[in-house]
Amino acid sequence: MDKSAKKLGTKLPDNVKLLKDILPAEDVLVYTFRTADGKSCAAVYTDGITDKESLGELAAKPLTLAKAPKSREEAKKLLYFPEMKDADDAESAASEILAGNPALLIDGIAGAVVLGTKKIAVRAVTEPQTAITVKGPREGFIEDIKTNMGLVRRRIKSPALRLDTQKVGKYSKTVVSVVYLEGITDARIVEEIKERIAAVEIDGVPDSSYIAQFLAKKPYSLFKQVGTTEKPDVFCAKLLEGRAGVLVDGSPIALTLPYMLSEDFQSAQDYFVSPYRATITRLLRLAAVCIALFLPAFYVAAQLFKLQLLPFALLMTISGGIQGIPLSPSLELFFLLVVLEILIEASVRMPKYVALALSVIGALVLGDTAVKAGLVSSPAIIIVALSGIAAYTVPDLTGTLSVVRIAFVIVAGSIGTYGILLLTALILYYLLSSDGYGTPLLAPFSPLIRRDLKDSLLKTDIYSLRSRPAVFRGKNKTRLKVRNRRKDNG
Amino acid sequence: MNKFWSWVFLIAAGALVLLFFSNDFGLIDIQKTAIVAAIGIDRSEEAEGRWSVTAQIAVPDANANKASNVSIPSAETVGAGIAEVNRKTGWYPTLVHCRLILLGEDVAEGDVFRVLGYFLRSEFVEDSCLVAVCEGRAQEMLGASSPVGELTTMAIAKVLSSEAQKTGLVCVTNLRDFAKGYYSAAKSGYLPFLARLPEAESGGPSEGGGGSADGGQTGGSASGGSGQSGSGGNADVFDASKTMLFYEGKRAAVLEAAETLAFNLAETSTDFAFGEVVAEENGEPVTFSLKMKISQKSRALALEGGVPICSFRIRANAQIADADTAAGLDEAAKKTIVPGSVLRAAEREFEEQLTAILKKCADSGCDLFGLKQALYRNFPREYDAYEKTLLSSARAAYDIRFSTLH
Amino acid sequence: MDKLKLRQICFLFAAVLPVAKLIIYPSTLSYYAKNDLLLSAGLNFLAEGIVIALVMWLSSRTDRTLFDLLRYTFGEVAAKTLYVLLALFLLFSAALPVLEQKIFVMQVLYENVPSLLSFTPFFAVCCFACVKGLKTIGRIADISLPVFALAFTALILLALPHADFGALQPAGAAGVRGIFTGSLFGLPWFTECLFPLLFLGHFRYEKGGMWKVLAAFAAGAGAVLLYLAVFYGIFEELSILSQYPLAHIAKYSTIYTTLGRADFLFIFSIALVCIFYLCIPVQLSVHCFRKAFPHLAPVFPAAGANLLLLVLAIVFNYSFNAVQTFMMRYAFPVFLLFCYVLPLLSLLLRKKPKAGRGTPEQNAKAARKKTARRRAARIARLLRRQERREHE
Repeated sequence: MDKSAKKLGTKLPDNVKLLKDILPAEDVLVYTFRTADGKSCAAVYTDGITDKESLGELAAKPLTLAKAPKSREEAKKLLYFPEMKDADDAESAASEILAGNPALLIDGIAGAVVLGTKKIAVRAVTEPQTAITVKGPREGFIEDIKTNMGLVRRRIKSPALRLDTQKVGKYSKTVVSVVYLEGITDARIVEEIKERIAAVEIDGVPDSSYIAQFLAKKPYSLFKQVGTTEKPDVFCAKLLEGRAGVLVDGSPIALTLPYMLSEDFQSAQDYFVSPYRATITRLLRLAAVCIALFLPAFYVAAQLFKLQLLPFALLMTISGGIQGIPLSPSLELFFLLVVLEILIEASVRMPKYVALALSVIGALVLGDTAVKAGLVSSPAIIIVALSGIAAYTVPDLTGTLSVVRIAFVIVAGSIGTYGILLLTALILYYLLSSDGYGTPLLAPFSPLIRRDLKDSLLKTDIYSLRSRPAVFRGKNKTRLKVRNRRKDNG
Repeated sequence: MNKFWSWVFLIAAGALVLLFFSNDFGLIDIQKTAIVAAIGIDRSEEAEGRWSVTAQIAVPDANANKASNVSIPSAETVGAGIAEVNRKTGWYPTLVHCRLILLGEDVAEGDVFRVLGYFLRSEFVEDSCLVAVCEGRAQEMLGASSPVGELTTMAIAKVLSSEAQKTGLVCVTNLRDFAKGYYSAAKSGYLPFLARLPEAESGGPSEGGGGSADGGQTGGSASGGSGQSGSGGNADVFDASKTMLFYEGKRAAVLEAAETLAFNLAETSTDFAFGEVVAEENGEPVTFSLKMKISQKSRALALEGGVPICSFRIRANAQIADADTAAGLDEAAKKTIVPGSVLRAAEREFEEQLTAILKKCADSGCDLFGLKQALYRNFPREYDAYEKTLLSSARAAYDIRFSTLH
Repeated sequence: MDKLKLRQICFLFAAVLPVAKLIIYPSTLSYYAKNDLLLSAGLNFLAEGIVIALVMWLSSRTDRTLFDLLRYTFGEVAAKTLYVLLALFLLFSAALPVLEQKIFVMQVLYENVPSLLSFTPFFAVCCFACVKGLKTIGRIADISLPVFALAFTALILLALPHADFGALQPAGAAGVRGIFTGSLFGLPWFTECLFPLLFLGHFRYEKGGMWKVLAAFAAGAGAVLLYLAVFYGIFEELSILSQYPLAHIAKYSTIYTTLGRADFLFIFSIALVCIFYLCIPVQLSVHCFRKAFPHLAPVFPAAGANLLLLVLAIVFNYSFNAVQTFMMRYAFPVFLLFCYVLPLLSLLLRKKPKAGRGTPEQNAKAARKKTARRRAARIARLLRRQERREHE
């Protein structure tokens, strides 16, 4: 018979042996002690993730000072834990032990009492590096799901907020929580998310990106299918708009569904500054993305296929700059883009104390010296640098933009100016036909939803945002009512 | 099915990458391209009925732009001449940035569209390029050096720019407008008549307009260093104040500078100009330089009693810029107020110049003011009756008023 | 997958379909109609507008597709046959625009005439679009409207200062013959009146829908007429030489500025909309094939249609003039038949199925109703007979 299915009996040594057989790892320890009248007790726990101090103070101490309880209920009355559960079989007790909650066994009492003394080393709640804002909250999610849930609860103090948890991963048993607002989020979306998560049988889930791939309708797509955020304020704002969220234990990145491409052009700060400023910033981001994608490609196409694209004076300057360069414009730009990607990748991974030296190498050697040596031209360096910087105005899309940019350069270098248009058309057709959870990816532009344009590339004032986005199919549409609003005539 | 699409994608991507890296797509690399900034066309001195084509190629340089002139002394057609540039220099000439087509004076004796037809047919030459006729040979004109050290083409283009047009000194036209006139019922047009005045002294060896190019000057003569030719180290100044009239593509007449100014003030987009007028002051003839601002201008054709009347209505404000007499303090202070006699003299001068232009048009057959077009558009039924005699029978009516600022 | 919104159909007429007439049509029209090209094009637009209005009126009367209407009237086999013919016609009508686009791309977007290889990827993009269904036609219209509106407005504003509208005078100078010849030979460019017929049943008719679509159509027509006027005002006698005016009308304002040919940005935008436009008849053709052969996966008719167009593009690579002449002078009755006569005839189709001509479910339902009616009539007869007997 499978040991894990066996029930925990009344004999303490047998129970301890059973649990140690299931959990033979050396970090699973047994702390034995006796009650006042000499009954043996044991707490089986995992070293490193159990709060031993609480275990001793709140469980062992009261039991050693009192007579042996006759039942689990009696035992619970002696203990000072707010979180206690019963575990009747070895498997459930073992999984709790591995989660950091020790199992308390008392000789003569069947089963175990699981004590909530999990103490996992977690980092502090700090500002996430990928979503820095000048104005607004600076908190970010961390790896502990309980803390993350707390951060969400702090912002939405409503009984309508639901956090439905599941465990995913045969070995990791990662806690995944589907977060939504009852009455606001479309129940069909929530159901589908839960079904997709429940259908997964995987060994382990190290990060929320695994769950994101299971939730995506086209997991092989280059474009995101699931929204991500590290900020609780953004997460809550998305819930309030009608989306559903997913928190994954062990990952600071929360997921939101449904996802639209336009949300990556929005930033939390847009809601904390003047709407005009926010609109300009969003349009700037769009322009930056276009520069990042198209500038290198048009530079290549102009030199190889259509000189007329460049004004005469600029053409002369560029032409003077590329005299004697051994590579053709397309190859030159391609290699520079590859070098840029290598630099970016290296800068992410390199230790901080080496960063200064390597940035000098990157700037001087790859930039200045390469130009002086006549290996690459200055205009190409400028184009690549501008494109690289522009891509980072929308950090969530940087990975996608890097790949698509190189595709554009290859197309521009082989097919020419028309190739750029064809690739743009192809990408647009692809994005237009990508729907996820009933929401088109390019909404509210295509299909056009006029009401939702107020908070897309444009940002209107807060009084205009009376309704939730129409693209989400939730029932409760109103999100803002202002009583007795007096318009200022001054 | 997914596997199928994966294979399709891989094959397509592979083909694209192969094309990209092979770079063998019939591409013309910018480094092998000769960017032609101007084309000069003359009659060939070597053979009758053939053409001499001069291409001014902009040569990019780290510090400044230089130009290299490549001449093909004898070509059957202009297209053949330009193709010869490729054969002789090894560069592929591209005319997309060709800003100027310069015709030699001898070309204008025949139908200029024998040579301009190439540019109209080609999709790769912009019909917005400037067209001009020059005194003497276009090859020499393109070999001239500019006093500000830039490409000759740029210097000429500045003289023929829309800014110059606005001041009325030059009649600017582009290939499209000239071709429209040629193919219209009037078969008429005009081109600025460019002349070279070797006046200005340049500060040092001039880089523009005559620097020798790097390589590729075999065959036809590549005129370089024209700063040395003709002006003894001095730069040249270009003047386009005269205008050549064309009828059926051939030279018909030439307007002098004053006539050009009058035509611009009456007809084109000129709305601000300087002009000189002689008026009597205290019994002595005094020359006044006037600043003129045209506030209103129109030209209309009417048929009155079977006689075509071409009426000009012009309203302008004038101010005295200078006079060739010592002005008293009072007069100098009141410079905005122009004496009536001067205004009337200006009106008379204007009318005289317009009359002279109309006479030249009648004599040469060049319908400069588009009277035939106006007749066709506004009086289509009478067009056939008046078409042939319109220019000679048309009478001018002037309603020209110059006002002074108060 | 195949649902459209009325708004998207309006956007299609306002912004996507007019682009077909911006490339070679103006110079071709000016060859026949000279300065009366507005009158000539206006006649075509009027005819199209009437057909569109009638088809929209039909859509207000029924929510069935054209295939259903044909099936109700003529039966399944006839409906499939007609749809195959429609599909073939749509491919036929797409041939000229594809060749036009090819030449436009080769001449305007490149400076050294490249090989046909530069254009062939278009068919791959088109194939992809065809696989995605009618829904993408509507969504692409949503994207195209702002792009077209902005680019077109910019080009016209840049071109306006150089246009002499007096060149359009005197009206009627080309004569009735010239005007009508221009209209008749311009039919290959006016095939959009067929599209609403194929959209029947794929969108929900809204109140005032006909007027909204007509207003959008009028806006698109107005844009084209304005473009033609500006074109002729700029080029006048040179109109017949100016084959790709889209690339040239705005350059006179920009070419000598610091930015150079900044108008290329707008030209590229409209060229992008052109790509979308070119895909529409092919998508509709594939849609028709799939209606006729519903068990066929979309990729097969999509690949087949695009392969056929690719072959045509290769075969007629150097024969554009011949193809254009054939389409204009000899094939115009085909365009008249499919684009004008067929939509008008569709008004006469049955809107409800005859017995045995609906879907199996509809036939079963109809049969049940018929049986119930007969039973009720028999019972009524029996009751009347009984009453009579009792009375007697």
